Amino acid sequence: MRPKMNRQLTFTTEPINEAVLVAQRKLTGGMGAVVYFTGVVRGNEGGTGISALEYESFQKMAEHQFGLLFDEIEKQWPVESVRLVHRLGLVNVNEASLWVEVVAPHRGEAFAACQWLIDRMKEVVPIWKKPHCV
Amino acid sequence: MSDKQSQVQAQVRVNFYSFFKELTGCPGCSQSIAPGSTMANLIQLLTERFPKLGPMHKSMLTAVGVEYQDRGYVLRDGDEVSLFPPVQGG
Repeated sequence: MRPKMNRQLTFTTEPINEAVLVAQRKLTGGMGAVVYFTGVVRGNEGGTGISALEYESFQKMAEHQFGLLFDEIEKQWPVESVRLVHRLGLVNVNEASLWVEVVAPHRGEAFAACQWLIDRMKEVVPIWKKPHCV
Repeated sequence: MSDKQSQVQAQVRVNFYSFFKELTGCPGCSQSIAPGSTMANLIQLLTERFPKLGPMHKSMLTAVGVEYQDRGYVLRDGDEVSLFPPVQGG
């Protein structure tokens, strides 16, 4: 029987410190793959130049929905841990708005779980963004 | 007065997120509903109260508490309903 998947979910209004997150990584000896993804605010939204995105969340429901997604990952893939950080509030162009890390025995499940999580997040987690134009 | 009208009305709390707050002019409201009303009935009432919500009714997402519920969900007194546009995380 697999140990329970470790999960960490953080919402923050502060800049995402990727170096610190990488330094804090934990994985056991059986793990051979770490996939991590950084989502960055693009300089245009729908063809219009922007300076920033302002993120809003229904946080209690977002936490619950992320929990359900993590439950599904645990059922589908042998993932040891998932960490996800999502910015809220104003995020400038070129800044990270999202950071996701998946640790698994092999790259196949790590890539698959990470992609699935981000795709499903964009369908069900109640977070919205409002562009601030240049 | 009909039997339905004479029944005690239920009250639900409605929260609006994202630009729905601008469309309605408020972050939320209370709404009286007839017992046995569905989410669809509630949306109809809210669209009459806040006409700018009308064009959004097909794409609107609906939740009770922290769970998504569909238009056929039967609401209960005290339910906390949230209405919002399609989500945009990441």
